[in-house]
Amino acid sequence: MNQGGNTQAAAPLDPNSIEKRYGIDGNQGQISSYQYSTGSDGAPWTAQRVDNQVVENGNYSNSNYYHPQPTGPASGNVQEIPNTASFTSSTTSGTANVAQDYSGYTPYQTSSDPHNYSNTGYSNYYSSYQQQPSQSYSQPVGAYQNTGAPYQPISSFQNPGSYAGTASYSGTYYNPADYQTTGGYQSTNYNNQTAGGYPNTNYSNQTPTSNQGNYTDYTSNSYQNYTPDAANTHSSTTATTIPVHYQQNYQQWPDYYSQAEVPCAPGTEKSATSSFSQSFPVPGVTSEMPASNGQPAPSYAQPWRQETNSSQPPSQQPGAAVSASNDAYWMHQTPNQQAHYPVPPQNHYQSPLETKPLYETPFQGHQRPTYPQGMNSQSSIHQAPLGYRQPTQTTPSVDTPRVSKVQIPTNPRIASNLPSGFPKMDKDSSGAGATQTPAYVSVSMPKPKGHTTAMPEPGTFPKSLRGFVERAFARCKDDTEKASCQAALREIITKATDDGSLNTRDWDTEPLSTVLSTHMTNTESSCTLISSFQNKSPIRRPKSRWEPVLEAKPFVKSASTFSSGVKFGGWNHQNEINKKNSESFQKVDAVTGFKPTYSGQNSAKKSFQRPVKRQRFSGGAATAIDDEASSDSDKDLTPYYSSTMALASSAEEKKRRDSRSKRFEKVQGHGRGNDTPKPKNVNVGNLQSRRATALRLSRDFDESGSRAVEDIDWDSLTVKGSCQEIEKRYLRLTSAPDPSTVRPEDVLEKALLMVQDSQKNYLYKCDQLKSIRQDLTVQRIHNHLTAKVYETHARLALEAGDLPEYNQCLSQLKILYAEGIEGCSLEFAAYSLLYITLHSNNNRELLSSMSRLSEEAKKDEAVRHALSVRAAVTSGNYVMFFRLYKTAPNMNSCLMDLYVEKMRYKAVTFMSRSCRPTIPVSYLVQVLGFTGASSESTGEKETDGMEECSQWLKAHGASLIADSNGDMLLDTKASTPSLFMPEPEDAVAHGDRNLDVNDFFTRT
Amino acid sequence: MAYVSMGEAHRRITEFLNRFCDAVSLQDSSTLCRLLSFSSNSASHLSLADALNVFQDASSLIRQSDKFSEYGEILTHLFRSLQSYRVGNLVEAYLAFEKFANAFVQEFRNWESAWALEALYVVCYEVRILAEKADKELTSNGKSPEKLKAAGSLLMKVFGVLAGKGPKRVGALYVTCQLFKTYFKLGTVNLCRSVIRSIETARIFDFEEFPKRDKVTYMYYTGRLEVFNENFPAADTKLSYALQYCNPKKQRNIRMILKYLIPVKLSIGIIPKDELLQKYNLHEYINIVQALRKGDLRLLRHALQEHEDRFLRSGVYLVLEKLELQVYQRLMKKIYIIQKLSDPARAHQLKLEVIAKALRWLEIDMDLDEVECIMTILIYKNLVKGYLAHKSKVVVLSKQDPFPKLNGKPVGS
Repeated sequence: MNQGGNTQAAAPLDPNSIEKRYGIDGNQGQISSYQYSTGSDGAPWTAQRVDNQVVENGNYSNSNYYHPQPTGPASGNVQEIPNTASFTSSTTSGTANVAQDYSGYTPYQTSSDPHNYSNTGYSNYYSSYQQQPSQSYSQPVGAYQNTGAPYQPISSFQNPGSYAGTASYSGTYYNPADYQTTGGYQSTNYNNQTAGGYPNTNYSNQTPTSNQGNYTDYTSNSYQNYTPDAANTHSSTTATTIPVHYQQNYQQWPDYYSQAEVPCAPGTEKSATSSFSQSFPVPGVTSEMPASNGQPAPSYAQPWRQETNSSQPPSQQPGAAVSASNDAYWMHQTPNQQAHYPVPPQNHYQSPLETKPLYETPFQGHQRPTYPQGMNSQSSIHQAPLGYRQPTQTTPSVDTPRVSKVQIPTNPRIASNLPSGFPKMDKDSSGAGATQTPAYVSVSMPKPKGHTTAMPEPGTFPKSLRGFVERAFARCKDDTEKASCQAALREIITKATDDGSLNTRDWDTEPLSTVLSTHMTNTESSCTLISSFQNKSPIRRPKSRWEPVLEAKPFVKSASTFSSGVKFGGWNHQNEINKKNSESFQKVDAVTGFKPTYSGQNSAKKSFQRPVKRQRFSGGAATAIDDEASSDSDKDLTPYYSSTMALASSAEEKKRRDSRSKRFEKVQGHGRGNDTPKPKNVNVGNLQSRRATALRLSRDFDESGSRAVEDIDWDSLTVKGSCQEIEKRYLRLTSAPDPSTVRPEDVLEKALLMVQDSQKNYLYKCDQLKSIRQDLTVQRIHNHLTAKVYETHARLALEAGDLPEYNQCLSQLKILYAEGIEGCSLEFAAYSLLYITLHSNNNRELLSSMSRLSEEAKKDEAVRHALSVRAAVTSGNYVMFFRLYKTAPNMNSCLMDLYVEKMRYKAVTFMSRSCRPTIPVSYLVQVLGFTGASSESTGEKETDGMEECSQWLKAHGASLIADSNGDMLLDTKASTPSLFMPEPEDAVAHGDRNLDVNDFFTRT
Repeated sequence: MAYVSMGEAHRRITEFLNRFCDAVSLQDSSTLCRLLSFSSNSASHLSLADALNVFQDASSLIRQSDKFSEYGEILTHLFRSLQSYRVGNLVEAYLAFEKFANAFVQEFRNWESAWALEALYVVCYEVRILAEKADKELTSNGKSPEKLKAAGSLLMKVFGVLAGKGPKRVGALYVTCQLFKTYFKLGTVNLCRSVIRSIETARIFDFEEFPKRDKVTYMYYTGRLEVFNENFPAADTKLSYALQYCNPKKQRNIRMILKYLIPVKLSIGIIPKDELLQKYNLHEYINIVQALRKGDLRLLRHALQEHEDRFLRSGVYLVLEKLELQVYQRLMKKIYIIQKLSDPARAHQLKLEVIAKALRWLEIDMDLDEVECIMTILIYKNLVKGYLAHKSKVVVLSKQDPFPKLNGKPVGS
């Protein structure tokens, strides 16, 4: 479960981590990515930043963290990172939790503050994490821790923020909501910091699971690692890896929280702490790590193997074991990972399944898909990737539960980021690197998706535009700003809609400056973010290597380390293949580059779906592919989006979002205060916030829309027509009516007369009448003319048997009559009665409309006729019915027409059963109203009636014989069993079965 | 309104708050019921309402104390509702009460045991009654009445809270009945379907475990629904159940049940004694029963016309109208018996002419075609055994049991 959760979380985390990595690469870029990831939870993210300590802030903090990490985090970070790694290791037990936690963690990581927090909180978290790992992952945990430790050292250097993230982890654990937010953030953070550790831990503990989680994490880690490689490979990479670990931890944490992390918790905490210490020692492993930085992957790979071997040991001696395991993981990553992966995935799966129930399944589903995809992409490259995929799937499930509320969005992003990262990795990395890269790619993929999707997806306008909106909102510090921002956004969107650029414009790159001049720093457009990400991505990739190290250390931060380890493992395999950390890093860098894009995309959802596709794509190609993948992923994500949106709409979600948004605001403030890197963080926050705000915005729009309907001053909006054309074709309005095409009342009167006198067919008249009705409606004319138009149309519809149109008119007429407009209410009351009697067959309706008839109405000829028809129909008195049919006033006979067939059939059935031996057809002709049908002359009438009746009888299976006089007779005995209705016209005379209440009941 | 001093107002409000919180903490359902049922217009409620109107800032009073603020949302809205209710603003009172009810239901959901079920009943009842009153006010102001509809959806929410497993399930039927009352009043009885299904398909809870009171109400309403559908056997079962278990002292309820049960019984050929109709003051059915006994079509039609409005409103008009066929059968039987007395050999041949003549004596003018049509229907529906010789215009009756009794089965089966 935990593992599964971790994987999921890892996936989300990866995005976050990616973002972080990005941030690391380009502090601003990362920030932006974070913001994006926060998207829906943008506010929360900001809050997270502020709260880096707090989980929610975690995301923001992540951005911040990144900044810190990038700026001067390395040294300080290192320590923290180890912690985070240990945390991550613990989280590994609950990958899903980790994911959530990651979100929380990520914030911590991101924020430089987090470091402090992370240290304290991390220790706590670590302890908790460790506990978790100890439970389910005890062995793995150990491994994780070990891995985490080693990795952490590396990452820690780079990602102090990640540690901070750990602090956030604690927060995240506590706060499910945070988890959600963290989800996206976490992923980034994880990727940067914990993610790596987590993956590692996961790997070590449950290679499969860890692989899963790691995959996402790996991607993130890889990204981070890679980024570090590219830039300050060692430091940056470590940082990135650390984030990864964090993510895992985060995920695990959530899982723990949600499920029963307790078992592990007590011991785990200790172990976690120990692991931390160990992890730090692991840093000794770090020696490897450094190597990994330089050649982190190789070192890790060895630890990894060890870890796998000593998965259990790690729990005991998380630090060392983990480190070793991490190394083994790394070493194994390619080989071992594959083997491990298969097995671990199972474990993960199981655990995920369990956790999943607890967590929100929807999220799981989302996460899973993405993860699987990511896994697949990775797997395609490496078997281990496959294993990862499985874990990821499982983790998603875990994550999903927790994430479900907020996490889902973030997770998708993360996932997307991861996938994107992977593709990038592949592209960047050479052949061997490519293999490793896959995992990375998967991680990074999500990010690319985010960016790319946002950019390329015009069709997905909602996503990119949403991201844009979210970004804009993320930059808003207070309500006033938001209000102005909203207004500005509306204007922009309206403009875009008008000029058709809504779908074509690149909203991700659209500068926010247009929206918020005040938030220039924030306004770093997605492009800048992306670029920053790309820049960062190299750094992050290095981090991925670092992550492995972290993984070794992870004991304390086992989950994160594990994840990183796993990623590393995958990467390591790649690396091993490459046998050059630098290569792997490069790959990672490429991945990270992708990641940035993902983070930029904002749309975690998109990223979720995208990750898979992107991963695949990435496997095939480089960034360009990523772009494609991103667009695809966007499409895939749309469902997720909707689901997330739905989730977002829930009251709880709303509350959480609100609180998050507040946090976000705070966080933003912090972020700004923190360092230059913050710009990126800000961007990240913006991305996240964009999502959040986009969600909120959409809701707001809805609300405002509904409000508008009530508050609009209709009088001021009523159109006064000026068109003098009498004839006008009906066209359903798709926009506000143009007065120049609307006819004023006097012209409409002429138009009505024209229609009434027209010799043209019903279709023409119907069209004309509909346009008249439309003009009346838009001008809000409610008077006798309106009634006249509707009455005319209703009569014509009756004449033509157009019941749907008739019903429309009748319902309008009822309203008009109720307003006191005279018209021919009695005539239509009769129609209404007949209609109910003959067609709706609804006793209650019939009773109520009968009871509504006034005494005066009952004296009206038409109404009396209708009542008689009703009596005849309910008693089955066909003789009476056809007499009434012949004497029907107004259009009553038109309605009766529709029942004639039924009545005749009933009559013949009755007679066939009751009468013996024969009935002359001439009698039927007389009784069943066949006579009056056709021609003028009496003689012809008779024969025509006979002919028609015989035809009808034959058509209904009656048996006819001729008597000695040559008169046709109905042989009742022979006919009784053979009668049938040729076409079930009686089924529903009005042609719409939905209107049959009984049918409706049976169906519902 | 009697003058209430500020101190007195404060005392009354605090007392109410204390009683409320004590009732909740002691899980004293009956006290809570009394506190919430303000449509009872009890003196304590009226005085509290007066106090609230004097002491405007009751919500701050609630906020000041942790004890009260725990139920702040409940109490604030309750007070607001009571205040509006007191000054006669029923729409406002309803809106506040709806908020109160929502808060209360939320709180109720958190209470593990079902101790507050009775109080919830009171809330459900009050919300419906208040909605009806508010709708009356809206209608008199020329606005569209919509509060009862809102109350319906609120009740549906409450039903959702109760309908699951657990001890609260037992309260589901009460809410169902309140929903029935709402829907019948609104004329949206089709909405009953979902509730009925969830009651009747639930295997986890035996219907018999619900309180008898609710079972009777439930059966009454579902029986009425079956009357609408003219599913007489089912309606008979349900309404008979309701009658059987209805508290015999509740004459009014018994009468309501009989109003539907009698037409149903008549439709399946069971005729009540006059004493029953007299005892429960069901005079509108007396002539109809007479008409059925005598085969007097005119009497039946007159009775239907006389009470048309009532029958239409209660929804039994169409059911009673269908009794015509049984009256025809009775009439034919009488003719047959008379013929048998005069000419036993040819008694089984009823000339349409004779039937038409008999109808003319009843001042009902029908030509032979129409009489033939009626005979066809009677034979088809198995109210008369035999056949109709079209050529000779004679109904030839079966020699065995020419007029079969319904014996509890609906016509035409």
